[in-house]
This record gives sequence, C-alpha cells and structure tokens, in this order.
Amino acid sequence: MNKPVTNVASASADLSRTPAASNNVTDNTITPAGGKSMRDFWQWMFSPERRGAMLVAPALIMLFLMNIFPLMWSFGLSFFHYKASSIRPPRFAGFYYYEKVLTDPVVWERLQTTAQIVALSVLLQMVIGFAMALMFEKKFPFRRELLMLVLTPMMLSFVAVGVFFKLFYEPTFGILSQGYAYFFGEPLTLLATKWGAIWAIVIADAWMWSPFVMLLVLAGLVSVPDYLYEAAAVDRASWWRRFKTVTFPYVRGLLLLALLFRTIETFKIFDVVYIITAGGPGTSTETIAVYVYKVAFQFFKTSQSSALSYILLFVVIVLTNLYLYFVNRRNEEI
Amino acid sequence: MFGKRKERGLREAGWGQTLFAGAIGLIYFFPVLWIIMTAFKTRTDALATPPKFIFTPTLDNFVSVFWRVSQQGNEAISTGFGLYFFNSVFVAASGVLLALIIGTLAAYGFSRYPLKGNDTYLFVILTTRMLPPIIVIIPIFLMFRLTGMSGSYYGVILLYAAFNLPFSIWMMKSFFDELSGDVEDAARLDGSSERGVFFRICLPQLKAGLAATAVFALILTWNEFLFALLLTGSDTRTVPVAMARTIGGELGVDWGLLAAIITLFLIPVFGVTYLLQNHLLRGVTFGTIKK
Amino acid sequence: MKHKLNILGALTAGIFATGLAVTATEVSAKDIVINMAGPDWGPTRFLQEKFNKTYKAKSGNNVKLVFDFIPWPNFYDRVAASLTSGEKKYQMVVSDSQWIGTFIEGGHFLKLNKYIDADPTLQAIMKDTHPAFVEAYATYPHKSKNYYGFPQFPDTKMTWFRKDLFCHAGEKAAFKAKFGGTLPCTYAEWKDTDWKTWASIGEFFRRNKGDKLGDGVAADDFYGIAYQAGKGLDFSSMQINAFIWQHGGSIWDEANEPKAQAVGVVNNAASVKGFQHYLDLLKWSPPVAKTGQMDIFVIQELIMQGKVAAIINWAGLAPPALDPKNSKHAKQIDFALTPGLRGKDGKISRWDNIGGQPFVLTTWNSDEVTMEALEIVKWWMSPEVQLDFAKNGGESGLMSVMARSDYNSIRPWNRAHVELLDWQKDVWHVPEFFEMLTQQQEEFDKAITGQKTAKQALDAIAKFQQDLLTEAGRIQ
Repeated sequence: MNKPVTNVASASADLSRTPAASNNVTDNTITPAGGKSMRDFWQWMFSPERRGAMLVAPALIMLFLMNIFPLMWSFGLSFFHYKASSIRPPRFAGFYYYEKVLTDPVVWERLQTTAQIVALSVLLQMVIGFAMALMFEKKFPFRRELLMLVLTPMMLSFVAVGVFFKLFYEPTFGILSQGYAYFFGEPLTLLATKWGAIWAIVIADAWMWSPFVMLLVLAGLVSVPDYLYEAAAVDRASWWRRFKTVTFPYVRGLLLLALLFRTIETFKIFDVVYIITAGGPGTSTETIAVYVYKVAFQFFKTSQSSALSYILLFVVIVLTNLYLYFVNRRNEEI
Repeated sequence: MFGKRKERGLREAGWGQTLFAGAIGLIYFFPVLWIIMTAFKTRTDALATPPKFIFTPTLDNFVSVFWRVSQQGNEAISTGFGLYFFNSVFVAASGVLLALIIGTLAAYGFSRYPLKGNDTYLFVILTTRMLPPIIVIIPIFLMFRLTGMSGSYYGVILLYAAFNLPFSIWMMKSFFDELSGDVEDAARLDGSSERGVFFRICLPQLKAGLAATAVFALILTWNEFLFALLLTGSDTRTVPVAMARTIGGELGVDWGLLAAIITLFLIPVFGVTYLLQNHLLRGVTFGTIKK
Repeated sequence: MKHKLNILGALTAGIFATGLAVTATEVSAKDIVINMAGPDWGPTRFLQEKFNKTYKAKSGNNVKLVFDFIPWPNFYDRVAASLTSGEKKYQMVVSDSQWIGTFIEGGHFLKLNKYIDADPTLQAIMKDTHPAFVEAYATYPHKSKNYYGFPQFPDTKMTWFRKDLFCHAGEKAAFKAKFGGTLPCTYAEWKDTDWKTWASIGEFFRRNKGDKLGDGVAADDFYGIAYQAGKGLDFSSMQINAFIWQHGGSIWDEANEPKAQAVGVVNNAASVKGFQHYLDLLKWSPPVAKTGQMDIFVIQELIMQGKVAAIINWAGLAPPALDPKNSKHAKQIDFALTPGLRGKDGKISRWDNIGGQPFVLTTWNSDEVTMEALEIVKWWMSPEVQLDFAKNGGESGLMSVMARSDYNSIRPWNRAHVELLDWQKDVWHVPEFFEMLTQQQEEFDKAITGQKTAKQALDAIAKFQQDLLTEAGRIQ
C-alpha cells in the first residue's frame, strides 16, 4: 500500500480485522466442562475453538482482579451513604450522590479549570512536539545523543518536575524569576494570579510530555518514503506545498493519536498541580483530579467521590467515542 | 539509526543541523541539567542569588543519599536507599515483564482469534486507564488486606502488571496485526504446531515491538507514586516514595539531596532507553504505520 | 465458570507459594513487635534510635519497636489509608493533633482511661503533662475527660531573628530615630514587642540590593518580616488563628457542641479585624507572599538564606537553621517570644495555635501488646528520656522537665517555647476538620492573593462551616 494508512482508527476501528488464521471463534462464552475425566476437561479447554479465550483469559482475570473489581466495588458504594473513615455501616442512598454531584457548581468549576489546563497544555505539547520532530527528522551527527537530551523530561518523576519548577517560579530564589527581575526590575510573581498559575502548570506539564508527542510524530516523519520527496523536488514544489501534500498526510494519524492519548492523560493531571500551586490562588487552579482526591481521601466522602468518578468516566468515554467517530468518518471521506 | 529499514529514507543534514538541534536540545534539557547541577551543589549554592553556574562541586549529597547522621550526631546510619533502589528495580522489572508476557499472549489472542465482542473488550481494557487511580485505592487496599498482600512485593508487582496491561495489550496487538499472516499459514501447512507458530514465527519478528513496549511501560512504572505510597511497607518501599522525605520534614526541600536522588534514579531508565532507542521509535507508533 | 475459578485458585496458590510476604506482626509470648507509623524526621528518628539503644522491657519480653517512617508530605494519606481500610498494621501511631477525632470516631484509636486509672505511673505522667498538650493531644471530645494520647513532639511557633541585625548598634539607633521605639534584641525587649513594632521592623528592614544592612550591604533585596501565608495544608490558618484569637475573635467552638454556632462567630467583627491585621502585615514580606505560597518551609528558607530579618515559625523546624550546612546565618539566628497584640492595659496577648504531634495506641491489639505499648509510653515520658530528647532537637511535654533550671539553656528556643505554652489553643478535632481546614485555607488564600476582602473570606468560611456542621449534626 502506497497511500499512508496512518489512521488513528487502526488503534481502535482496525480491531475488526479478520484473523490470519481461520479459527474464527464465534462463541466466547465459556460453558462448564461436560467431560467425565480430567483429561477430557483439559482437552476441552485447550481445543482450538477456545484458543482465543485461553490466550486472553490471564489478562482479563488480572484486569478484573486489579482494576475492574475495585471499580465495581466503588461503583456499588456510589449508591450508598458511606464514609471510609466511619464505623457506621453503609445505608442505601439511590442516586442521591449522583444528583448531588451533578448539581454541585464546584464540580463544574473544577471541570472548567481542567479543560483550560488540558486545552493549553495539549496544544503546547502538540506544537513543541511537532516542531522538535521536524528538527530530528533529518540525519545528522550526534542525532541519537541529542534526541536523548530531549527525551529525558519524560523519564523524571512528577515530584521532581513539580518541586523543581516550583523553585524556578519562586520569586526570590527562582532562576526564572531572577531572569525576569534582571530585565524588568521586579521579581516575577507568576503564581499570584489565576492565569499566571495556570501557565506555570501548563509550562511544566507541556515540557514534560512534549517529547511523547515528538516521538509519535517523528515515527511518522521517518516513514515518509524517499521517492515522494524526490517527486516533490522534481515538481519544484514549495516547502509549504511539500509539507501539506507529502509530510502531513503521514503524520496526521499519529498527531491525532497523540492528541487522544495526551488529552486522556492530561485530564487526570494531579501531582504537578498539587505540588506547584496546591490549587491556588484560592481554588482557581484546582483540577478535577485534585478535587476527587480531596473528596475521597481527605474528606472521606467515599460515596460522593465514587459517584463523581463515574460521572467523569462516563464523560471521558463519551468524548473518546465521539473523537474516534469523527476521526473514522474523516478517514473514510479521504 | 532507527532500524535499517527506515534509515534509508532519512536525508542527511550535516553539522549545521547538529548545532541547531544542539542549541534547542540544550535549552530544552536545561531544567534537567539544573537538577543534575544542583545534585553537586551545597544548599547555599543551590539557592544562591544570582544563580550559580560555576561552583565547587561536592559529593556530599550523594553520600547523604545512602547515609545519614544519627540524631545524636555521632554515627552514620544507612538511609536504606540501596534497598529502595533494589525495590524499584525489582518491582518495576517484574511488573513490566509480567505485563509483557500476559499482554503479549492476550494481544496474540485478540489479533488472531478475535472473540465475540472483541472491540468491546479492548475498549473496556482502555477505559481502566481513564480514571484517576485514587478512586480504586480503597477497594484495592481492602483487597490487599484480605489476601495479605499489603506491604509485600507481589502485591505491588501484580498491581503494576495490571496497570501496564492495557497499554501492553494495545501496543502488542497492533504489532501482531501488522505481521503478515501468510508466513504463519505457510508454517502451519508445514506441520508446525500452534505453539511453534507463536514462538518460532511470530515472536522473533516482534523483538522490536517487545522492546519498545517494555521501555514505555518502564517509563510509566518507574516513577509511579500513589500505589507505591499506599501499598508498600517499609521493607518494600520504592524510590519515588522514599524521595518524598526530602521535600518536607524539619527542612523544607533538601535541594541537593533530592537532586542527587533524582539523578541516580534517572540513570537506569535513561540507560535502558538509550540501549533500546532503535526500537523506541518503532514502538510508539502503535503499529499505525503500515508498509 | 468452573475453570475460571480454577485459574483464580491456581493464581492465588501460586502467590502464596512464592511466599514473599513480609509478616507484619508476630506476637508470641516472648517476641513482641510494635509497629508505629511516624513521619520521617528528627523527633521520630530520635525515638527509634534511643529505643534501639536503651530500651529493655520490664516484663522480660523481647519487645521491638519498628517505625514505619513515612515522608511528611504524604504522612496523612498513608496513615489514613491504613486505618480506614482496616489494615490493622500499626499498633501505635504518631498522629497530628487535628486528626484524632476522625480516627477516634472511626474506632481506630484506643481510649486510655481504663489503663490510666489502673496505673499510677501513667496518672503521674498525665498530671505532669502540660495542660495545653493534654487538651490538644489527648482529649476527645475536646476538653473532655476521655484520654487518648501523649505528646510525642510538642511544638510551638516563635520568633526567629537575626542577632547581627537586631543587636547592631547602628541599626538600633537608626530604628530609634525613625520609629521612636526599641529595635528588640534581648529576650526582655522581644517580650515587649507587639505587632506595631513588628510592622515597624518590616518597614525598617526593607532594603534594596546594595543598601547598607548591618555591617555590610544587602546582596539582594532584603525584607523585614515574614510569617506563614501558604495555601497548602494548614500553612496560613496556624498564623491567622493567632491574630483572630488575639483580637478577641474566635473559631467554631467544638467544646460547646451542639450549641456553638459558626455564622456570627467565625465572621464576627473581632475575627475580621484580626484577619485584616494579619493581611496588612504581609506587605512587608518577600514577594512570594503575594502568591499565597509562603509556607512554613519557604519562610524557613528565606531566613536561612539571608533574605529576611525575622520570621515566626515552628520550633520543630529550627534545628536546620542552626546548622551551617543548611543555613548561611547559622551563627546569627536566635529565638524569642512571638509578638502579640497590646491591649488597652498595656499587656500583650499572645494567643497562638499549638502544633506538634501526640502518639496514640490503636484498638486492635491484644492486651499484652497494649501493655507493652504503654510501657513504651512510660519509658518515653520518663524524665531522663525527655531530657535527652530535648537535648537532641526535641521538646519535652512534661512540666517537671521544663521546670528544670538547665532546661531553658539546652536549646536557644526552649525559653520562649516554655513561656509560650500558656498561650496555646488548638483548632478543631472533629472528623469534619479536614473539610473545614481545606475550605478555610482556600478562602484565606483568596484574601491573601487579593481576590477577596477579609470580611468576604470569613463570611464564606462561616457559612460553609455552619452548613457542614449542621448537616453533620454538630450544630443545632
């Protein structure tokens, strides 16, 4: 295939691909063994029809135990009056907490703040990531070593990034503030205003995760076949035209994938916010993840935090599906 | 340098590009550089105004990573950092390995023997990564208590494995999808068993994919904090948790010590990434590029 | 489903066969292990080290105290998760004073009256413990006769100041010329210092880079005063409460539950005046004050790195300030009483918020373990150990130890600490404290960063507390 099929959809919609082997399992429900002896049972279990289920089973069991079961547990709790810190047994509450969360203006405020941070940070990550990928697209001496320099932020812990960026922003000791004071005469108090504090968070987060976007885009760039560039050169196509018709189609899908992944991850942003601003000034940088943490762990409103989480999960799933839907539709159009 | 197949396509740019990328790279790397420099500074130098770029380096911070002076000031006491470091390596390596094994099997299953509702399974697997982890902490805690896993190695290892599974499955599945089924079918015609097909035909082609998945899972696991904080005991504590002791006690942030720990803790993951760099690029595409 | 269960069984069996588990407590007739959760810092490390070196159980049992040192920033999360999940890992816990209500009502902390009544040594200890500590660390409901804890590390705030500046003859003269009063230097002079003088100090020591300062010149912009004004945890409430109390305002009074109200009390005129006073003085602080991030560690750093002349901070954070490795002015920093509000009678009110941590026992232990834990308490609260603790960075909670003639000279802040004990009160201990504290910190932060006035902030706090506590049945 010469046309680049770099669609995000292959991360999701491509699932329907027909298997190479023809053992198409149509029924994955596992019925109890009817065999009389142990041997019959094993034979039944490892028969080719069950191969798919057997291969997937360990993963599903593990995910069930470590993820889905706890999730269902807290899903159950969201319908009860329950505080983890209290000895009182849970009482049935119905949809009380869902109603409470949905009508709580604080939740909407936190979602808004989160959306602002996600929008700015992801946008910045895409721009920086893309620009750096273009820089590393070509072959040059020490490329491999320089690439490592750029990749390092991703390997740091959130604590490291949070604590040191907070130091950079500190008006008296911070290197950023001192640089600012050198030019403008007065120290920089970035964290004093809502937007200053949001930018402080966004810069740290975008710095940390732009390399991730870069890697994705770079993978697309290095896979552009040479002859396309050669053809463009023969046509004397302008840089912009070459970019638009040759380069971009190869990275478009990857960019969208990066957008999806980074949006999901940034939506959960917690540590960096907690360390740099603690949600301040006031509550103006408190993200939804910080809020959930407070409700669940400091206030021990276990039911309420569970209900809140499920609403969030619902929102994320709907958004993801919408996103995939639009991406797939566009791919079909092209 | 990103696999021979792709290297051919790269255009030469020469030393000019090295200078340009070097300048940008250094600016980008500067915060990390500053942290590493801080690791070699005294506290006063670390907080000096104006900031110090030239200073007399000291190794005190690195000594303090492993040893501290007793409260009565007359003995050196181990900080246990060696153990924490071992824990981090052991827990992360085991968790990633386990996720890789189980995830690869599952990915093979999802790719070659789709179940009814395959897409739904895969989507549900992805959604487990979408929630703030704080929400499952209490049930997991209760579960760990019931099974006696709290504070043990295998509790965290299982949890990290589960934590890495969605990612590993998605990534490995896309690699399997990309492999041509013809070779496998040919092998089957030659009488190769299914096991043989998996181990002798598929896996050797997926070395790059496995390496890339491992690196990404490692980066995500290496710095995990919340589960490690709540589910490890004093014997099984990992470095990210132990590191937190340097950001607030009788002294706010112990800049030099924190920086020294960060620097030491960066080395393994940096090294692994460097060694597997060839595969990394290949991996992060999630197989979305097809030839 | 059968084989699914089989796999599950095999998996679990495999897990147990691996046997990597670290058994938490093994209680036998001879070996007793007491696991104690504690923050990772000097005062708890001293307890562990001292125990390992000197402790011998009188019962003849082989008692081991094993600290789980948890980093301070995550201490609450870790302990709360352990307690509320029923992990039952710890036999003893170092608890922040505000938490005790939460975990007593949750059934995790052990009521000690029965044991105290049966043991004359414990009675003597309770009697000898300073009333401020008994109140803040031991009783729940607040000021009741139900006892739960003993002081592990009792803490108060005091003034830290630069001797080289405050006792500098030239600076003293300049101060006198400008403000008419005395620039405090000696203990007695600081004892006579009120907020008005504190404000003058702030104005007086505000120097720009290159200005004369003491014997030299200011290497950087220099500021006079700072106290905590941080968004995180309780990093502004602890100071603001002092102002509110000194001005005759009050916080919601948990000892008067359910009669005590929040609206009309928390936001009464005196409280607003106190809070406003606090805000006014921030203008003489370093620029970080404007960001609402000037927490207890930032002010500690500011004085240690020579950016500010005087701060008000916990004694618990003082040892690094005297350590040349951390502090540029280790030789010059000294300690004194906190300033206060001068009344019409000329007397200075110094009400302040107590800090520090008690340690408590948990409810799920066998009698044998509980008795051994109480033996450890008795050992820790014995005068020799307490004195040794004070010599190594701690503070004693015992009045008999503090009354010793040499106690004040052990550490430079001891004299102020002992004198200030009579002025200590505490915030609430009810399980709702964290919500109240968090919301209050948010509102305070809004006022500190200029988004709200003092009145607006306190009104919002009062309303929130009224609703919350009414819903919880604590206000009727």
